Amino acid sequence: MSEVTGTTWTVYDANSMSQAEIYGHVLCEIGDERKDVVGLTADLAKSTKIGLFGDKFPERFFNVGIAEQNLFGVAAGMALSGMTPFVSTMAAFASMRACEQVRTDICYQNLNCKIIATHGGISFGTAGSTHNAQEDVAIMRSFPNMTVIIPADGIETANAVRACVDWDGPVYIRVGRGFEPTWYDTEDYGFQIGKAVTVSEGTDITLICCGVTVLQAAEAAKVLKEEDGLSVRVLNLHTIKPLDEEAVLKAVLETRRVITFEEHNIYGGLGSAVADVIAESGKGCAFEKVGLPDAFSLVGYPEDLYAHYKLDTNGIIEKVREVMGRDFEEDEDWEDEV
Amino acid sequence: MGENRTLLATRILLKALFPVMKVVVTDDPKMGKRFEGVSARVRFSVTGEAEPLGTDVVFEEGELSVDATMEGAPDVVFSFKTAEKFNAFMAGKPVIPGIRGWKRPGLIIKVVSLLLAMKILMPDARPKQEDKQRLKVKMIVYMITTALSQYNKGGDPEMSKWTGKQPDRIYQMSVDGEEIAAYVRVKAGKTKAGRGIYTRRRPFVHICFNGIEGALPVLLGDVEFVEALGRQMVTVEGSPEYAANLNDYMQRIQALIV
Repeated sequence: MSEVTGTTWTVYDANSMSQAEIYGHVLCEIGDERKDVVGLTADLAKSTKIGLFGDKFPERFFNVGIAEQNLFGVAAGMALSGMTPFVSTMAAFASMRACEQVRTDICYQNLNCKIIATHGGISFGTAGSTHNAQEDVAIMRSFPNMTVIIPADGIETANAVRACVDWDGPVYIRVGRGFEPTWYDTEDYGFQIGKAVTVSEGTDITLICCGVTVLQAAEAAKVLKEEDGLSVRVLNLHTIKPLDEEAVLKAVLETRRVITFEEHNIYGGLGSAVADVIAESGKGCAFEKVGLPDAFSLVGYPEDLYAHYKLDTNGIIEKVREVMGRDFEEDEDWEDEV
Repeated sequence: MGENRTLLATRILLKALFPVMKVVVTDDPKMGKRFEGVSARVRFSVTGEAEPLGTDVVFEEGELSVDATMEGAPDVVFSFKTAEKFNAFMAGKPVIPGIRGWKRPGLIIKVVSLLLAMKILMPDARPKQEDKQRLKVKMIVYMITTALSQYNKGGDPEMSKWTGKQPDRIYQMSVDGEEIAAYVRVKAGKTKAGRGIYTRRRPFVHICFNGIEGALPVLLGDVEFVEALGRQMVTVEGSPEYAANLNDYMQRIQALIV
């Protein structure tokens, strides 16, 4: 049993459980503690693992069938009745098929509805563009009242799910398909909604990441230290909204080189959120957004796609070396010294 | 291609030591009064080398600056036949330079007194008064950062290799509680020294001395750097390996010029 959160599984189990499975287990634990928690899905109980909650609390679990708009409308009604609904479906369906219901039924009324969206980004790469969600973060972060979280791994998913129960208003937690490796080996690393986690300290460049790219960037930082002697800061910016602007600005001011890595279209996601902060600050830095280009993703295994889009360790190393070659200082007169 | 070691020492003395004279004139009230209202150009030149070496110390109404172009007409000239003799003179050894400009004997006396005041930088100079200790620390911090940059610009092969593989980085030195700070910027083989705290970003290495009483024993070599870290006379933020490299180059420079 975990000493930190009292979960019935341990970090060792986390290695063999998908993010969604961990979510399912944590939700069951929350269900024991909170009778107001209900679970809803649109015929994806097994894929999204909310079925674990359904097995344990059948009286508090509702499968509305393949009807995502209805799913979120029902969830809104339950939230208005004093319940705390956890709604699970694939990210593509939550953000696009049920877009209006999430916006108008849930966000407009600032309801305590928690959306756990699985198969985010290109994690279900073989399913193709219909099932990929490379726009969901852009859509969700544009809704007033919505909080958007992309956990790095299963452990962080557990932390995020627990934290969102008492978080006021709607929350969108985006997880992968389930075969993502685990990065954290403990739940006790100071997770807080809206606060970045420093994975490694550095002064040459900052890599701002979320989701699966956190682990890849952390591995890249190790290689870059060994091979290139670079001091690389890695920030896990799991909460895209509200964004930890202080951590972003600190990174800009202290390292002056920033790259964002995300499993999302480069427009509207983490990179755009970070770029907004940098632009509004008026502070200069060498900056690049790395993610999925403005095109529908290729179809294939996620690992192959991550490599193709420079979101794996080798791709991140390549990008860092590229950005390290850019100038960012105003003063390039090397002769004028005291 | 690196310069030979004698010329490298001369370069460091001309480019790093002379600018620090300004600190003496500014921070030592006696010296400031001595140069009050003085306007003159004083040249230090080495004549016997293949290329002309030297610098001008310019006073404008008592304000000191250094002009390496040596383009104006000097009022007084201190000349040395070789770089070796110049280096020995600046290291406090008994070398008599040629002096021109006896029309202004008072100026010569003042400049000689300024040169003698620079002896505070010598390793064996142990000032007792607090203001002198502070002056010494400030002069060393200012000088060493410029000297490091010049050591690289002079082409020391090892330092060139060390700076050559680095991205844009700041090596900051400061004395806690005092307005004494200087830095060296390194970028792909290029270096540049600056005064004050570099504010554009966080330094890669920040050597911060714990006040004058922490700085002086370390800079005088009375306490080893590692021991000083243990005794909290100095703290290092950032890469300890690169801080050690920097300390190593500082020691090499001291051995070269003293």
